[in-house]
This record gives sequence, C-alpha cells and structure tokens, in this order.
Amino acid sequence: MTKRRQMRFTIIRSLVAILIALLVATILIFISAAGATFQDKLEATREALKQMLAGPLFRFSKKSGTAFEAKRLADILAAMIPTIFTGLSVCVMFSANQFNLGAEGGIMLGAFITAMAAIYMPLFAGLHPLVAVLLGGAVVAVVMLLPALLKTKLNVSEMVCSLMLNYIIMYVIKFLMNTYLADKSRGQIMSYAFRETANIPPIINNSVFSGAKLTWGFVIAILAVILCGLFMYRSRWGYAIRMIGINQDFAKYSGMKVGGVIVLSQLLGGFLAGAGGGIEMLGRYTNFSWSALPGYGWTGITIAILAGNNPYMVPLAAFFMAYLSKGCDLMATYAKVPAQLIDIVQGVIFLFFAAEQFLSGYRQKLVVKSAQEEIEMAKAQKEGI
Amino acid sequence: MPDGKTLSAEEFVVQMKGITKVYPNGVAANQGVDFNLRRGEIHALMGENGAGKSTLMKMLFGLEQPTSGEIIVNGEKLELTSPSVAIAHGIGMVHQHFMLVPSLSVAENMVLGMVPRKSGIFIDRAKAIEITREYSEKFNLKVEPEAKVVDIPVGMKQKVEILKALVRGARILIMDEPTAVLTSQETAELFVELKNLKNQGYTIVFISHKLNEIMEITDRLTIMRNGRSMGVYNTCDVTKEDISRLMVGRDVVLSVQKDKAVPGDTVLKIRDLEYVNEWHKKMLDKVSFDVRKGEILGIAGVEGNGQKELVDMLFNFNVPNSGTVTVNGVNILGMPQRKIRELGVSLVPEDRMLYGIAAGASIEENVISDRASEKHLNNGPLFNMKAIHEEADRLIKEYTVLCKSRSQHVGMLSGGNIQKVVVAREFSNDPVLILADQPTRGIDVGATEFIRKKLVELSRSGIAVLLVSADLNEVMELSDSLIVMHNGQIAAYFEDTAGLTDEIMGEYMLGLKKQTEEEVRRACHD
Repeated sequence: MTKRRQMRFTIIRSLVAILIALLVATILIFISAAGATFQDKLEATREALKQMLAGPLFRFSKKSGTAFEAKRLADILAAMIPTIFTGLSVCVMFSANQFNLGAEGGIMLGAFITAMAAIYMPLFAGLHPLVAVLLGGAVVAVVMLLPALLKTKLNVSEMVCSLMLNYIIMYVIKFLMNTYLADKSRGQIMSYAFRETANIPPIINNSVFSGAKLTWGFVIAILAVILCGLFMYRSRWGYAIRMIGINQDFAKYSGMKVGGVIVLSQLLGGFLAGAGGGIEMLGRYTNFSWSALPGYGWTGITIAILAGNNPYMVPLAAFFMAYLSKGCDLMATYAKVPAQLIDIVQGVIFLFFAAEQFLSGYRQKLVVKSAQEEIEMAKAQKEGI
Repeated sequence: MPDGKTLSAEEFVVQMKGITKVYPNGVAANQGVDFNLRRGEIHALMGENGAGKSTLMKMLFGLEQPTSGEIIVNGEKLELTSPSVAIAHGIGMVHQHFMLVPSLSVAENMVLGMVPRKSGIFIDRAKAIEITREYSEKFNLKVEPEAKVVDIPVGMKQKVEILKALVRGARILIMDEPTAVLTSQETAELFVELKNLKNQGYTIVFISHKLNEIMEITDRLTIMRNGRSMGVYNTCDVTKEDISRLMVGRDVVLSVQKDKAVPGDTVLKIRDLEYVNEWHKKMLDKVSFDVRKGEILGIAGVEGNGQKELVDMLFNFNVPNSGTVTVNGVNILGMPQRKIRELGVSLVPEDRMLYGIAAGASIEENVISDRASEKHLNNGPLFNMKAIHEEADRLIKEYTVLCKSRSQHVGMLSGGNIQKVVVAREFSNDPVLILADQPTRGIDVGATEFIRKKLVELSRSGIAVLLVSADLNEVMELSDSLIVMHNGQIAAYFEDTAGLTDEIMGEYMLGLKKQTEEEVRRACHD
C-alpha cells in the first residue's frame, strides 16, 4: 500500500472511531439527561451536545447570540501544554515497541523536581526556569533507566515495572511533602511559593486573555514537537528507535545497538515527560500542591495512540483531547450532564483505536487494490521492454 | 496389493485426485498431484523441502483448500474446509512442532476441546485421566497422565500427540517428520508403536527424508519433486539409490554464465566447529573449511543437517561449543553483528521476513539499515536526506526493485522484490564476504536469475561467497567448489563442480556415501 493510501486509511479510521464514540456518548447523555418527558430529554440532550461540541469555542447567550470566545480557545491551548509533552514522551517510548507507562509518574516527578529547583535555587530570571525544567527532565530520564535497564538486561516487563514506578514516585513525593517540604503555615499540604524568577510568563498579557494561562510553555511544546519529529524521522537515532519498534530482529541483524537504543528511547521519553511537568508547574502554579498523579500521562498514552506514534500528529490529538475535555466540563456546567462522561467517551475512542482489526475489511480492500495496481504496473513494464 | 490385481475404489481410504494448489502469492505448490492411501498401510511421502509434501498434507487435514482437484475419503467426496471437518472424518495429524499446552497435564491436553464434565460444570479430571489411561493401554503408547507436558521428554510428547488424534477418532494419521526431534532409541520405540497401530488397521502417512527409516517401516511410498508426484512405489521394489535419484533431481537448468574462478587468499576460515543443540543433538560435528577471495563455495544438503546452525554461528545468532571462525584473521565468534559487518561480512538471511526486512518500514528505510550511521548519509545530527534518497533510488534502479516509489512499504512488495531489497543492501556495502543463505527460495524466476547473476558477478570481482542452498540447481550451477553436509558433518567436498551429477550429490546428501577424512580435509586450504 502506498503511503498516501495508508494515510487515508488512518484518517478515515480515526474519524469513524470518533464518530462512533460520539454516538455512544449521545446515547449516554440522553439516558442521563434531566427531563420528565421524551421531548424534554431530547431538548436537554441537544443542549448538552451543543455545549460539548461547540461550547469550547463559542459562547451561547440569549441576549447577544452566539459569539466566538477567544478565552476558551486559550484555555484549550493551555491545557494542551502538559499533554503534548506526555504525548511526545509516549510516542518516543512506544516507537521502540516499549510499552512504558511511566509518563504519568514522570510528569509528576518532573513537576516536583522543577518546583523544588524553583523554590530552593537562587538564580536570575530567564535562566531559572530553564535550569529548573531541564533538571526536572534530567531526573526523570535517570529514573526511567530503571525500567529500561531491567528490560534490556533482565527482560523484566517494562509495562509492569513502569506502572508500579508511577505509584512509587507518587508516594515518595507525598512522603517528602508531608514530612519535610510542606509550608506548615498553610491549611493544606503545599510547598513554599516559587521564586518569582522561576515563573514562565504568559504569551500575551492583554484583556482578551485575562484569566487564561496560555504561557510561553505552549511555544516550547510546539518546538518540542518539531524537535521530536526531526529526531524520529530525520536522525539516525530516531530511525534506529523506529526500526527496532518495527522489527527488533531485523535491527539487530542490521548491526544496530538494540539494547542501547531501547534505553535511549526510555531516557528521552522520561526527559520529555519530566520537562513537561516542569513547564506546567512553572507556568500555571505558584507552589507545588499535587497530591496525586495528575492524569496527564494516561492522556498522553491516548494521544500517542491517536497520533499513531507520529510526533507531528501529537498537537492535533492533544487539541482533540483538550477540546473534548473542555466540552464535557461545559456540558457539566451548563447542561447538567455528569463530567465523568468524558472518561466514557475517551474509553470508547481508545477501544476502537486499540482494536487493530477495526475496519480491517476496508484496509484489506485497499491492500488488494494496491496489489492489483502493482501487478498491472509489472505487466506494463514487461510490455514496455 | 500382494496378488497384483487392480484396486477398486473401496480399497483406498483416501484418494486425492489431480490436486493443484496455487497460493495467493502465485506459488504453485502442487500441480496435478495424485495421492492415495490403502487401509492399514504405512505410506511414506518423500521429497525435498519445498517439494510440496506439507502443502498436500495440509489439504488433507483441512488446513488449506486445493485450487482444483478432489479429495475422496472412504468413498465420499469431501470439502475439507477446516481441521475439525477432517477430524470428523477420521483424519488426524501429528505436527512436527507439537501443538500441546505445556502448563497443562498430559490428561488435560488429551481432552482439550472435548472436556468431560462433572454435573455439566466442573472439569472431570479423574475421567480425563481414565480416558488417557485407557487409550494409552489400548495402543500401547506409554504416557504419564498426570505429568505436566512441560516436564515430559520429547518422545512422550509425541505419544501424547498421537493419542490426542486417536482419542478424537482418527483412523488415518498424518505424521510430519516424526523422527526429526527424536533420539535413535525413541525412534525405535516409535516404530514399534506405529507397526502396532498398523496391525490394528490404522493408516499412517509418514513424511520424512530419512532413507533408512523409510525402508524399515513403510509399505509404499510416494515421491514428490517440485510440486509434482514422481510416482508411487512399493517400498520392497525400490532401492535407496532409486529413491535418491527420484527425489533429488533437476528439472530445469537455468544456466548462468560464469568464468573459471581464480581463488585468492582465504577470507573465511572455519576450524573444527562443534555444536550440540538444546535437545542434545549434535548439529555440527568437526566442520572445517575455507572460503577464498573470488570463489563461490556452495553448501548443499537436505535441510536440517546443520546448515542453519552453521550460518547462525557465522553471524552471531548462536555460539558453538568449540571451534574457531575467523574473517581475514579476526575471530568473529560472539562478536556483535555491528562489528561483524564492519569487517565486511554481509548476510542474505534464510528467513527474510524475520531478519532481512522491517516489513512496516519503507524501501528506503530498509536499504540503509546497515549504514544509517555512516558519515555520507548524515549532516551533523540529522540525516542527509538528499544523499539517502539518492542512495535508495540508485539501489532500486540497480537492483530493478519493482515499486511505486522509495517510500513504499517493503511488506507490500512481492517476495522476489522483497529479496531484491535485501540483496541490494547486502551486496552494496563493499563486502569482503557474502553469506547467502537460501538466497532465491520461493521467489520468481526473474528475481532468481537476477540474484544468481549478481552473486557470480560479485565473486568474480574478488569477493568471497558462501552459498548455502537446499536448491540443488542453484548450488551446482553457481558454486566453484562444493560441500555436502549430512548429519552435521561434511560428507563430501568437491573442488570442482564440473562433472558432478545429481546421482552423486543425492547419495552424499542422503547419507548413502561419505568421503574419507583426507578427502574432506581438502576443503581447508592451509
């Protein structure tokens, strides 16, 4: 099959999966919608769907009609920052055929280390966030050595190992916070405030974006996407990662350092997750108060799968997830539908993407078509000679 | 039949008439094959690898469906659409690689899919064990019903497989190279059991290429070659030499133009290589030979006589128990593949889909896999895409890979074009030694000829070539000198392939003859 046909299949498959997920969501909304009569329920469902699908970008008011809302768009873009990083992290790790689920713990640890550097390291503005974020990324990269080396040296399942690692990281951070690092003058467990020098500033500070937290972190995230894309598709290391992911025996036979490259992919994945956590922390918060895993890592896995492990598709997938999340929030606020619905919608989409055989009949058709064309081409070439 | 009268249809339990099988990739594995079985006989199905034996038997067991032809079992014309249909008609198959669940007990494996129940819910283990005991005694096939399959020896696993087929009501047993994994004692035991089954009226198809076994145990034999039947014979009427001649022969001779080799210095030097596999079978036994610059050394032999193990040692997929292997004086045993490649060794692997390519990657990505880190393809940290595109386009053109573009996935190409991608990479990295393991297996004539010509061309330009092939045509046509392997040993070395005949080759390949140690020693050019 040609690349273009492959791409077409991927896009159509994605759209169908999303459509089916929305259909399931609609049915669920209808069931949970308020209203005594069928008509009421239908009305409530329509309102809910409107909020969910168009709400993230438009405000509906009876007085001034429907209007584009820049603030909500900024909210969505801001929400994409951490998930772009975890999405990239998972892309890089999954590309090497390593099902490392450590992005979740990674982003929390990165956020924590960056926060500590923002509190305790006296540096000047500009340099401070850079050092703090890099430190956060580096520490997570080192921690990812654990599942990576256990996998390459002892063949321990990286999936189990990284999954458990998430909880170890979470509880160690909680322990440190509770015992040593919490600001005792506060009513809840949170750290001291970050130094002002560590702050990542918002992109524009005008009235349109007041309240939204769209920081320069977004630009960094997009830069990371480009760098990751270049790394994966235009460098010998990314190439080695992908080849190992496709066929490890082939990579070994071709003379690639399989173990080393697998470790490299996990280090890089760890770094991306950690740095993402740091950027999120310095952009959105003034002190560290996370007491549980933030969930960005799990979203990152969904994003990576939606993006087909292609870094360039990550922002799109992240936008979709953020949009959906915002829509469901609005739906919960304005249309009285439980926000938990997003988890169900996410689950359904995930299900259809993960099901490799989904639409395989259509795929087979494309393959056959390609094969026929190839045969005809061969014939034509023979006749030409 | 003893009295020689013509057989009526009722005397055959199985008749396969005019069976033709064309696989979707265009390979015609069977062409108009007739095959029949008499009730209560042991019938050998013989032929080299790729002759079509397995395909024929897969159709009888319902694993594959014939493109044309008919299958008649017990006088009834059948559509064997799946193994369950075949089993229902009393056909059972004992696969070469056992289909058992290692973590379950023998009895549990026996009743898999037909589990006896207590009150309709609970598995009746006692009953399963009872059934196993009953069949084990009835057919005198001794197994331990309560032992876990993972813990029992290979010979017993095979008995479990046979019993499994019998429990399901098989009256016709297809045995795919049953002795390949057995020790000689286990083989002797198996033969007693098979004769016992035969006396009870069971019909057995025995796939093998071991002549001694065939002569010992079978009543009749069908020989296959290149997808066609070479005839049916009573075992008592033919000699081993006849069989060898019928089995190992050449039909079409593709001739490749070739000048006489002028061998130079030794490149690959192998001395006293020994390897015992995990089932304690000696796969390589004191193998020593040299491959010199500018010559093609062929290794012929029926598959499973140590060729695969030998190639594995040469590319560090395995390490021998003892012996040395050097390339231009450097020991390569245990060396990472990257280092072996740096010495200028290329490998066209036997299993091209597993090692030769990444099916989900593009042609371009596949042809640069061994050189992606080289300077001329990189610009600092990034790839020099222009250079890579040029390299890919050049190789596609030079090796006439039929494709839409360099970005097409390799997995979407035909077998011949996939192999061209592999050789394009392996032949173009300035090798000093090319290991070509079954380089043209299962690919079309055009690609085959192209690859053979390339091999000759490269060897004449001063590259040492080791050609391992089960295709007699190929080794005899291409090789300057030739080794025949049998039972992990070098059975014969021919300095010059001129004047060699199929008969001579067949005798060495099937172990009827063996050269003396001095004669074999000539393969070392010290």
